[in-house]
Amino acid sequence: MTNHWNDIANADVIMAIGSNPAENHPAAFGHITDAKERGAQLISVDPRFTRTSAKADIYSPLRSGTDIAFIDGMIKYVLDDIDHNPGNYNMSYIKEYTNAAYLINPGYKGPADLDGLFSGYAGGLNETDGNKRKYDKSSWQFQLDEKGIPKRDMTLQDPNCVFQIMKRHFARYTPEKVNEITGAPVDTFLQICQTYATSGQVGKAGTILYAMGTTQHTYGAQNIRSYCILQLLLGNIGIAGGGINAMRGESNVQGSTDHCLLFHILPGYLKVPDDTDDTLDKYLERVTPKSNDPKSANWWQHTPKYMVSLLKAWYGNAATRDNQFGFHYLPKIETGKNYSHISLFEAMYSGVIKGMMCWGQNPAVGGPNANLERLALGELDWLVVTDIWHTETANFWQRPGVNKADIKTEVFLLPALNSFEKEGSVTNSGRWSQWRYAAAAGPGVAMGDLWMLDWLARKLMEMYANEGGPNAEAITQLNWNYGHEHPDVHAVAKEINGYDLTTGKLLPSFTKLMDDGTTSSGNWLYCASYTEDGNMAARRDPTPGPFNIGLYPNWSWCWPVNRRIIYNRASVDLNGEPWDKNHPVIWWQGDKWVGDVPDGGWPPMAVDPENTKYPFIMKPEGHARFFGPGMAEGPLPEHYEPWESPIKNPMSPQQSNPAFKIWRPDEQGTPDKYPIVCSTYRLCEHWQGGQMTRNMPWLIEMQPEPFVEMSEELAAKIGIVNGEKVIVESTRGQVYLTAVITKRFKPFQMNGTTVHQVGIPWHWGFTGLSTGDSANKLTPHVGDANTMIPEYKAFLVNIRKV
Amino acid sequence: MQQEVEKYSKPTRILHWVHLVSFCILFLTGLVLFVPGLGVIAQDSWTRVIHRVAAVIFILAPIIYVPMNWKATLKGVKEAFSWSAADIGWLKAAPRYYFLGDETGMPPQGSMNTGQRLWWLIVLVSGVIFTITGLVMWFAKTTAPAAVLQWMVFFHDVAFIVAGTMLLLHIYLGLLHPLMTEAWKAIYKGTVSVEYAKKHHAKWYEEVTRGKEVKS
Amino acid sequence: MAEKAILYDATRCTACRGCQAACKQWNENDEFIPTVENGVQSVNRGSYENPPDLSPTTWLKMEFREVTPDGKVRWLFNRRSCMHCTDAGCVKVCPSGALYHHELGFVAYDKDICTGCGYCEDACPFDVPRYERNFVSGIAKMDKCTFCTTPGLDRIAGGWEPACVKTCPPDALQYGDRDQLVAEGKKRVEALIAKGWTNANLYGEKELGGLHVMYVLDDHPAVYGLPVDPQISAATIAWQDVIQPIGWVVGGLTILGLGFNYLVARANINREKEKKDAARS
Repeated sequence: MTNHWNDIANADVIMAIGSNPAENHPAAFGHITDAKERGAQLISVDPRFTRTSAKADIYSPLRSGTDIAFIDGMIKYVLDDIDHNPGNYNMSYIKEYTNAAYLINPGYKGPADLDGLFSGYAGGLNETDGNKRKYDKSSWQFQLDEKGIPKRDMTLQDPNCVFQIMKRHFARYTPEKVNEITGAPVDTFLQICQTYATSGQVGKAGTILYAMGTTQHTYGAQNIRSYCILQLLLGNIGIAGGGINAMRGESNVQGSTDHCLLFHILPGYLKVPDDTDDTLDKYLERVTPKSNDPKSANWWQHTPKYMVSLLKAWYGNAATRDNQFGFHYLPKIETGKNYSHISLFEAMYSGVIKGMMCWGQNPAVGGPNANLERLALGELDWLVVTDIWHTETANFWQRPGVNKADIKTEVFLLPALNSFEKEGSVTNSGRWSQWRYAAAAGPGVAMGDLWMLDWLARKLMEMYANEGGPNAEAITQLNWNYGHEHPDVHAVAKEINGYDLTTGKLLPSFTKLMDDGTTSSGNWLYCASYTEDGNMAARRDPTPGPFNIGLYPNWSWCWPVNRRIIYNRASVDLNGEPWDKNHPVIWWQGDKWVGDVPDGGWPPMAVDPENTKYPFIMKPEGHARFFGPGMAEGPLPEHYEPWESPIKNPMSPQQSNPAFKIWRPDEQGTPDKYPIVCSTYRLCEHWQGGQMTRNMPWLIEMQPEPFVEMSEELAAKIGIVNGEKVIVESTRGQVYLTAVITKRFKPFQMNGTTVHQVGIPWHWGFTGLSTGDSANKLTPHVGDANTMIPEYKAFLVNIRKV
Repeated sequence: MQQEVEKYSKPTRILHWVHLVSFCILFLTGLVLFVPGLGVIAQDSWTRVIHRVAAVIFILAPIIYVPMNWKATLKGVKEAFSWSAADIGWLKAAPRYYFLGDETGMPPQGSMNTGQRLWWLIVLVSGVIFTITGLVMWFAKTTAPAAVLQWMVFFHDVAFIVAGTMLLLHIYLGLLHPLMTEAWKAIYKGTVSVEYAKKHHAKWYEEVTRGKEVKS
Repeated sequence: MAEKAILYDATRCTACRGCQAACKQWNENDEFIPTVENGVQSVNRGSYENPPDLSPTTWLKMEFREVTPDGKVRWLFNRRSCMHCTDAGCVKVCPSGALYHHELGFVAYDKDICTGCGYCEDACPFDVPRYERNFVSGIAKMDKCTFCTTPGLDRIAGGWEPACVKTCPPDALQYGDRDQLVAEGKKRVEALIAKGWTNANLYGEKELGGLHVMYVLDDHPAVYGLPVDPQISAATIAWQDVIQPIGWVVGGLTILGLGFNYLVARANINREKEKKDAARS
């Protein structure tokens, strides 16, 4: 989240798209209700009428996988409206804070010119190889002046400027085209455009709440890009009640991502080294962005300080300037190679990966193409599962229809503590790191993750010291000191914050980090979370704080440096006066900023043009990007159909995203055999792979079985009544489910074409107190072109009576 | 030795006693729901179990009796519904009789006097009401509409009040009233003295003695 | 003592059913789960709603309604539990005093002295009391929401709010002084009307002398499946207010009358006897 949960109450318009917060974030939904009671409008855009839709002022259906068309249509509406009513929009925000005025390489061509492709495509349209399905992005780059600073046309009239390129790009997304692609009725769509566009007025705020419905597509990252562009056009980033807010699906997924849950990043979103990085300097040269613009803060220029401090935290005294601070201890990935979920399971399936530690997750239920992933587990030599219950992953060898004797994998199940039985921090969607204490003792021999990791690491260090091994020093030289037997979680938290190694004192902020080895920090973003003043995450002061906009600055701690709303310097005009004086985030008063921790303390742009900096400090050029040249499938979001789609792409001959890797082309379902769109989702009553909730009697009683929701029209077509059992099948597998026939699903009417959609909650599996078929037996092994997140949300199925 | 005349046959007496005992049990186990102070006694439903056992007996007893004593039944039922001007005379004279022992105004009575026939009518009608409403409450508790069940309770209660108070009167007259010296014997042994019969059931006495020897 | 109440705002409710689970958990009521041990199969019946009905172990359940006024679908959520009426039909008909008005206004329940008569089941205008009943023997016990005042599990006496209110994440449930909640409810209804919900209303303010669970609704109560203008039934009134008093009077007079008759008759008849004896001698 750019903003945070409590801040939603400041919004004037809220759009929940690709998300269902009432279902999946029931506690946080209270903030949305608070906003509504203060007069905010809630818009819900979803393939089916959800619990969130039930609370919304406006609801529009949209066919799964068509967010880009919907939002691009909204962007077109706003761009058109700017022509007619510029006074209703914050033009100075658009010109000064975004790259609308940037000039793009004249060689750039967009999908309007190239039948749905952007300039520079490598030509792997009919290939499966990820290396050929990609773009040469050189024609997408900014024009630079002689100093190497991006050129701008502040009149926004240059045909090569981003603003004009956008107008050309989005002009194709007319309301009728939007209807043809998404199935959203034209009048409802226009009502949403009109309502949401009111947040473009100076002093008004609109927020977009998204979740997995946005990301789990082969173009999920572009979905978010489209939200981003809309929000920037409306001046909604950086202000109270605005922002792009990813509602995380798990209580600490933000924290685990911050601390390098994903293969391509190190803690604090530092880039992972690859096999071209022979030396630390070479790595830093590659990953540290540069800017020649004195007005650009280019915050990532500090990467060397963060990287060296990280190495100091990990290797302590063994990390010296002479050994490049232990850089060569780090594993390096193969350049361009992907190590995310789908890739890992494909590697297991083909026998490349021989062992797995599966920690608090349940891929046998939650992974895409679950039948395949269960088979892949059987190819392992060993599998360690750490969980609080027996899971489908731990029990995969005794799943129905399988002969146990055929599976040679040795499986270990480590009993873990649940979140209420251990102390530590949890970072929520709003980036708040909140310290929690153990509320109860765990059962039996169950142990916390930290205890297990500590024990494992110390044992490995001992074994490598005694027996040696490849790159043994990477283990033996670890700075591993958290106490004996029972590691101290505070010692870990302090290490994450970091120390001044010359004094041994905890650092107050990441601005003190150095690249000379005199400081350490396990995660620069968390530097300031545990200082000499104590554990900041444990603070519980319920005072709303400055300007009474609900920042709660002394309740827990928020990265970075307790800044509650990031990019908040975009919430003020060039003089440092807030756009919205009723909900100021920061305010230049006298000679200093008052309010939230500003995005850098430099003076406002008109007050001190010499010493000021642009507000979007994480971008090398300092301006927010309408035009995003870093994306895999194009700098602007273009509608493509999901990998499996019931129709031909109405927008262009380019059917699907040209840049994602196709793993199993023979498993692609076609609409002649599988005419129905299917999506998976979660229920309020259950959680993820169901490990915890499917063993809770109260929850099982409320949602006892998996089901497939469908419209009355589709049910009539299949010839079934409510509550009847049906078989849902895709090319990957089939599931046996109860039919829930509802008015909340309606067939999509897309300019004369009717498309049916159904949905299945994915929580169930064959283990636990409540069992049932896993929806992920149906989902495909394809993922987003940028992130490889699987396409769980749109695929094709057929349904028949049992 | 006084001369005796048979007032009630053996089956009739058995029916009477079975019915009386079961009704008293039903009365008492029902009373605990009528008197809030007695509610504590009824907790955990044990009174309801007894009530139902008694109800089964209460309903079965006449069902067994009737086919075996068809004639007596017909006669009895007919009597319950045969009313004449003489009954009004009886009712007018009754207070003086029951309070003062003044028999002068009492018209001659059949086997049952007006008061008894009134009671007998109540027994018949309330018995039917109790049975129907009770069975509905028992077996249709979860299927009948709430309003129907509530009216069943209502009529059960009305029958309870009428039959219950009359039962008190019946027992009083049978056991305690100074003039009803042989009513007890009539229903216990089945006979009354000729003197008693002549005095209280003159018409009946005439009927039964016509052409018959008086049993001694 | 000021009367307490719960205010349920259906417009805030997201039907997460935290209340439903918390109610069972706090009151130690069994669940219907598909385990061999309790033999009860819990199944999906083509709806999010489950269990299918209130039961002796389900004192609170959320209802889901799909309605389509003017063609647009609405998904309405509604709380189903005891309304804790001031004019409570159940209290009126309860023969043992097991159901009674708590000093804070709501309808409390002493399960120990429940006779299992089933009268409350039929007298409740909201169809709330549920029985565990043996059909043959008639052994039965009623159960319903006790406003968290069940002995041993009494949250109210402990100064806490009821379990359902405590757990409600979107603050759709509030517990407090009834007067204040009426004012709060009216305020919310006005805000809803201002937003265009012209049928918005506060349900339970006046119904049955005032309910102790009140509803903020954005539409007519009937749309939410709530009885419009609920009343204590005619049968209850005819029975409790007419026949029962008559029964007491008739029964009392009969006993008095019989006693009087006995005294008078015995005296007179003895006198007659004496006269006769005197005449005889």
